[in-house]
Amino acid sequence: MKSNSLWKDAFLRLSKDRLALVSLFIVLTYFIIAILSSFGLVASNWSQEVGASNLAPSLENLFGTDIFGRSVLLKVIRGTQVAMSVGVAASIIAIPIGVLLGAFAGYFGGWIDDFVTWLYTTFSSVPNIMLLISITLILGKGIVAVYIALGATSWVTLCRLIRGEVMKHKEREYVQAASAIGGGHLRKLFRHILPNVSHIIIINTSAQFQIAIKSEVILSYLGLGVQGEPSWGTMIDDAKLELVRGVWWQLAGATFAMFFILLAFNILSDALRDALDPKLKGK
Amino acid sequence: MTKYIIRRLLYMIPVLLGVSLIIFVLFNVVSGDPTAVLLGRHATARQMAELKEQLGLNKSLFLQYIDIVKSAFTFDFGHSWATKQEISKMIRQGAYPSLCLSVPAFIISTVISLFISVFVAYYRGKGIDLFVRVVCIAGMSISALAYILFFQWFFAYKLGWFEISGFEDGFPNFIPYIALPAIIWIVLSIGPDVRFFRTVILDEIYQDYVRTARSKGLSEMTILLHHVLRNAMIPIITYVVIQIPSLILGALLLENFFSIPGLGGMTLNALNSSDFPVMKAMAIISSVGYIIFGLISDILYTVADPRIKFK
Amino acid sequence: MTTPLLSVKDLVVEFQTGDGIVRAVNNVSFDIPIGKTIGIVGESGSGKSVTSLAVMGLLQKPAAVVPQGEILFNGVDLLKCSESKMRELRGNQISMIFQEPMTSLNPVFKVGEQIAEALRIHKNLSKKEAWEKAVHLMNQVGIPNPAISAHKFPHEMSGGQKQRVMIAMAISCEPKLLIADEPTTALDVTIQKQVLELLFKLQQEYHMSMMFITHDLGVIGDIADDVVVMYRSNVVEKNNAQNIFKSAMHPYTKGLLACRPKLGANPRRLLTVSDFMTEEGKEKVIPVDRVQVFDKETVADKTDHVLLEVKNLVTQFPIKGGLFGGTVDQFKAVNDVSFKIKKGKTFGLVGESGCGKTTLGRSILRLVEPAAGSIIYDGKDITHFKHEELRQLRKKMQIIFQDPYSSLNPRMTISDILMEPLVIHNEGGTKAQRFDMARALIEKVGLNSNQMNRYPHEFSGGQRQRICIARALMLRPEFVVCDESVSALDVSIQAQVLNLLLDLQEEFGLTYIFISHDLSVVNFIADEVGVMYAGKIIEMDKASNIYKNAKQDYTRALLSAIPKGETKQSMASLV
Repeated sequence: MKSNSLWKDAFLRLSKDRLALVSLFIVLTYFIIAILSSFGLVASNWSQEVGASNLAPSLENLFGTDIFGRSVLLKVIRGTQVAMSVGVAASIIAIPIGVLLGAFAGYFGGWIDDFVTWLYTTFSSVPNIMLLISITLILGKGIVAVYIALGATSWVTLCRLIRGEVMKHKEREYVQAASAIGGGHLRKLFRHILPNVSHIIIINTSAQFQIAIKSEVILSYLGLGVQGEPSWGTMIDDAKLELVRGVWWQLAGATFAMFFILLAFNILSDALRDALDPKLKGK
Repeated sequence: MTKYIIRRLLYMIPVLLGVSLIIFVLFNVVSGDPTAVLLGRHATARQMAELKEQLGLNKSLFLQYIDIVKSAFTFDFGHSWATKQEISKMIRQGAYPSLCLSVPAFIISTVISLFISVFVAYYRGKGIDLFVRVVCIAGMSISALAYILFFQWFFAYKLGWFEISGFEDGFPNFIPYIALPAIIWIVLSIGPDVRFFRTVILDEIYQDYVRTARSKGLSEMTILLHHVLRNAMIPIITYVVIQIPSLILGALLLENFFSIPGLGGMTLNALNSSDFPVMKAMAIISSVGYIIFGLISDILYTVADPRIKFK
Repeated sequence: MTTPLLSVKDLVVEFQTGDGIVRAVNNVSFDIPIGKTIGIVGESGSGKSVTSLAVMGLLQKPAAVVPQGEILFNGVDLLKCSESKMRELRGNQISMIFQEPMTSLNPVFKVGEQIAEALRIHKNLSKKEAWEKAVHLMNQVGIPNPAISAHKFPHEMSGGQKQRVMIAMAISCEPKLLIADEPTTALDVTIQKQVLELLFKLQQEYHMSMMFITHDLGVIGDIADDVVVMYRSNVVEKNNAQNIFKSAMHPYTKGLLACRPKLGANPRRLLTVSDFMTEEGKEKVIPVDRVQVFDKETVADKTDHVLLEVKNLVTQFPIKGGLFGGTVDQFKAVNDVSFKIKKGKTFGLVGESGCGKTTLGRSILRLVEPAAGSIIYDGKDITHFKHEELRQLRKKMQIIFQDPYSSLNPRMTISDILMEPLVIHNEGGTKAQRFDMARALIEKVGLNSNQMNRYPHEFSGGQRQRICIARALMLRPEFVVCDESVSALDVSIQAQVLNLLLDLQEEFGLTYIFISHDLSVVNFIADEVGVMYAGKIIEMDKASNIYKNAKQDYTRALLSAIPKGETKQSMASLV
């Protein structure tokens, strides 16, 4: 019988969950579209006029046209790039900060813990939306400001979770055993504890991705996000005036695009949590 | 207990200092010189210097920080750059409409979510449970903006059941104005609330003491409503109380779309006109609210859970 | 012959698992007469708990397939009863108490309320009447100050008291049948004795039948009239309690009886179940040398070399309090302990929960820092060794922990786990050489070396403990602390691991400290025994002596509390 690590077991469990596989497929598709778009391979001509202004969806223009006659479908695809990039950027910023701070705080305790706790308490006292709009405003709008703002708000939950888990695992006997055979702090933290809490990073990142996408949409709607590029948020902003004139397809396009990726991430997060939770294995 | 409260209140101080620091770094350090933005394109250097003096922006950085800290404790935020009004007065004025919307919406959505969660926990695993979970997940996958736009367009504009925008003082006059935004708020909250409540309740259902209760011959409904809920209430209360401070901020987007003159709308206006003092004030107010209600929620937790001794 | 109160006929219970259908209970049949106690004995996985849950109708529905067979209670087949009829019976005519008193009570309700609950449902008493009866019941089960204690919350009571509360709950409606699922397993041995006496007394008073489930044959002997032995979902033997000790029939029963360490007996190695029985259940002939009695006294002390000396050791933990959470006092877990161990010998440390024995073991290894006193290893005072010296010391002093499930990193393979000590100390040469060393040790502890690329969760508790032993030996230590290393194992596995520890001690010349709450086990394996209570060693003597001439009252209380497998007559004489 072949041996299975806990990761492999989780993967096997996940692969039996058809809904999770579909969600994973959807997520990957969105990523591919985003990457293609960012290299200019698709939708690079989004700003071209393809028809008369405000045409309803038809076979030619699947999602219709906007006020400038541009293809809504191409704008949606372009918006996918923005949305996925925001999720990735926020993770790239939040994960190192959250994990390192949380790990050191949970492991070493003492003043390091006091400092980190003070830090994340402070950050979480300001409501996220306030922090997001303040940071993007100050940093001068644009997508980079959004990246930074989201990074600055999403590290907090991860830090808290990691800190809690590290504190728990520190007392477990396999870590004490590592001490007993002569292991030092770095070994115990990085070789033993962190691999056992890394599933939390995955689950949390998947959850944070949704928040990132939703937040970007709101920020772009408020005019704080991407400038000059279509994003789902700016499309919804346009839709505000269009709706009274009966033009619903920009709203629909953006909403549908968001719906599937958020739904996929939602289902995936749940499935990941069920698959990766080591409590369900072992005894 | 009093020692615990005192200790927590004292801990508020470094947190407030930290929050002030964040606000300071953002609005006084990183932001650079706002006078150019405020005066417009054709501002002369002299005008900018004058304005700087007026706004107190040429004080040393340290003094500017102290100003912010002071405002956190005295709630004296100075004057708005855009409307020139006294900010604390603006806040008092704006609070009323915000609360007219947020308080009823919050109460109703929490109660509805509780009902649904208990119902779904009782029928766990069955079709209705799955259906509710699907609806929640699907509901959460739609942007708040989409809901607001659609509901406003459909129910207020097309069907004319509600007012499209505006606000009127006094009960029951404001009802047609806040009804639709409140409904949207409720729809937005049910998804995440039910998910959380359901998880908490189900965590309790699988505990050993529930098996003991069954072995005494109690019915599933009694077990759920009496034994499980009492335990599940502990994290639920914490979750609910933590949301209260954001009621003051109101729903930024809802107030914006429905032109409700509350604090949320005020914040967005400040955003659009780079009205730093107002934004700083709102940040501080909401932070102080979070900190205080965080403390209240912790205290309620220790009261609700007899296992916790005040350390 | 009157009809029995409970009659289980050909019960089959299956579970849906990820790996298909698992049969937990296979054609089990037994009867419980009115007013008698049936003891169901088995190890983990034998199906005994599942049987009891089937009687109560408490099996979790999605996972458990509907049981087959019959469970006749007063002539009514419980398996065919409606849920509402079952609810009438539960807590009323059939009651159950569970193993873990810590988690079996609702933490947010007062204990008085929880006891009164069944009364209010089944006997329709008012709140006041039920409360008064609850107080009366608490008195009956021996909880001091019942009127006040009824207002307490579960976490304010000790484990023993909580179990008494559970018992009070269970007998409140004067049930005809009481099912007790390992009710004393989680309790200290002195408390266990009190709880068993209480159950016996109540049974006599209420003329109840009792189904008593346990893995401990000694307990069965003290409390049961008839015994049912279960092994891997089947009943392998049914007998009355007197006969089973004298003339067990099935090899598994014989093995189970033989593998317990007994006070006063001094075998060289313990017999194990696998000595009596093959995997398939066939009887084996026991090799003669296994039954050899070993007298520790006759072996002359080969050496006088003191390997470890502990002098006036104090380990304390701060108690927080005050306005800023500062330290207000110190809790002395280890309070002025001194003893010596000679090379090649085993020092047994025995005591009940909270006495400080685990802290002492860890302090000696400096996994926990002592506050005062000294530890002298091989002539050197290691108490203040700094980082590098301490690291070197780790090669000589090792520890095997209690919980085989949490002492191995679930994300490392066995070979990685075993090689890690060599990697840390840069020993053993190349990777291939280290792997060979690991392989040699794995085989020495009785495991197959082709499983070395597997992960801990793929092994059983006993196998994991062997891996822990192998890991401890990788650096060729001289001194090993066994911290409750067999306490979490089934009795038959425990015997195997104890034998292994003795074999290894002989082969490698190891010196042990063996920590346990089980005096019989300690007595078997140790040369010298120290009894620990509230941070102090209150009595220390040669193992062969301590059970004969215990001087301290506490030691004698510990000794008398050990279930000896005496028959019920002796219990009756106590009541």
